[in-house]
Amino acid sequence: MASSDKPTDKPTVKQQRDARRHEKVAELKRQQARAKRNRTIGIVTASVAGAAAIALVVTFVVTSGQPRQDPQAIEIDGVKTYSDLTANHVGGSVDYAMTPPAGGDHNQIWLNCGVYTEPVPNENAVHDLEHGAVWFTYDPEQVSEAEIEALRDFAPDTYAVVSPYEGLDSPMYVSAWGAQLPFANVTDDEATVSDFVTKYWKSTNAPEPGAPCSGGVDGTGKIA
Amino acid sequence: MTAPGHDDDATAGAGPHRASSGRRLRLVIAGVLTVAIVLLVGVALGRLSSPTPVTPGTDSVEAGFSRDMQVHHEQAVQMAMMVRDRTDDPAVRSLAYDMALTQSQQAGQMYAWLELWRLPQAPSEPTMTWMTRPTLDGDYGSHHMTDDGGAGGSATPVATHEPGGRMPGLATDEQLAALASANGVEAERIFLTLMIAHHEGGIEMADAVLARSEVPQVRAFASGMLQTQQSEVDAMQAMLVERG
Repeated sequence: MASSDKPTDKPTVKQQRDARRHEKVAELKRQQARAKRNRTIGIVTASVAGAAAIALVVTFVVTSGQPRQDPQAIEIDGVKTYSDLTANHVGGSVDYAMTPPAGGDHNQIWLNCGVYTEPVPNENAVHDLEHGAVWFTYDPEQVSEAEIEALRDFAPDTYAVVSPYEGLDSPMYVSAWGAQLPFANVTDDEATVSDFVTKYWKSTNAPEPGAPCSGGVDGTGKIA
Repeated sequence: MTAPGHDDDATAGAGPHRASSGRRLRLVIAGVLTVAIVLLVGVALGRLSSPTPVTPGTDSVEAGFSRDMQVHHEQAVQMAMMVRDRTDDPAVRSLAYDMALTQSQQAGQMYAWLELWRLPQAPSEPTMTWMTRPTLDGDYGSHHMTDDGGAGGSATPVATHEPGGRMPGLATDEQLAALASANGVEAERIFLTLMIAHHEGGIEMADAVLARSEVPQVRAFASGMLQTQQSEVDAMQAMLVERG
């Protein structure tokens, strides 16, 4: 620039060097400015794209309905599961692999679901588990009257049996076909026991979910 | 694009080479991002503009109906099977046979919906809660907060539905026990009386889901239920009159 102001004057060597340096500096500044502009464009573009992507994902989630609650995906602490259970109809008593029973051979007549004040026959109750019912058992020696009452209130109105069971190694158990959970009471362990019911009540884990839980045989002491 | 890069590589040393491959990287990233965004927008447009297959959630009206109506149907099956053991009357026995098998099959349909929707069979909220939800036209229908006398002051009799309430038409344990201990015409009368109320309750629930759901299978099911149960109510009323 400086050289073009006075084209007639011959620049000195020093002036020429200064001019070249100025040009280099100017060129460097232009490069820096360009780089800065490109970076700004890049950041703005990336931000807009990122925001758009997030907005689209949110739109998907919002428009894809209510959240799923796949019962099979529920994980329950302390639940014991049993596979390869046999399901034959047999007469007489059955020696079950677990106490209380959580599936296996059973009597051909199922127990009518409901609330019992007396122990019910294992062989009839296991038939209910095959039909998708859950069976709540409590050890009368280990629980209070209030805890029993709370358990009866908690149990589903259908496809559930509530009965005392002597000699358990936990105050209460809830059993389904191939799964069971020991617990203390439905107040302290409500979340876990609710999860168990959500996962196993009338679930396809049972061989015949939805088969009858009435029209079978009543045990003694049926109060509901 | 690659040729100048190679030239730089050979002649100009590290500085320009870095700049060039950096630009190439940026171009690749920009390209990938552009493709991804175009795809995302395309999928979004396609999905938002086409009719979405509806998969009800666990607290939906459809899931609530499917769970409660299964329980309702199971009791109808139970009563129908009971009366078949209590009477020899061919008309009542064949009516009961029809009802037991129909409602058992229908309960299976609702069971399968919940399975296909990957929802638990167990309710996620108290019985009847779905019937207190707003209707499609934004109204709460006749099922909302009726314990304070019914807000609308409507002249129609207002059913007292609230979350956790008893399903309309469901027989009590005492009524079931009465049916179980009766025989002949007496059992037939009890059965017809209980089943008329049971069907009327079922119709009320079907009406409630039709007012609240746009899911085609549920609507078709409830419409069919309305029609057949209403005609069965008429038939049962005539049979009840015949039996004094």
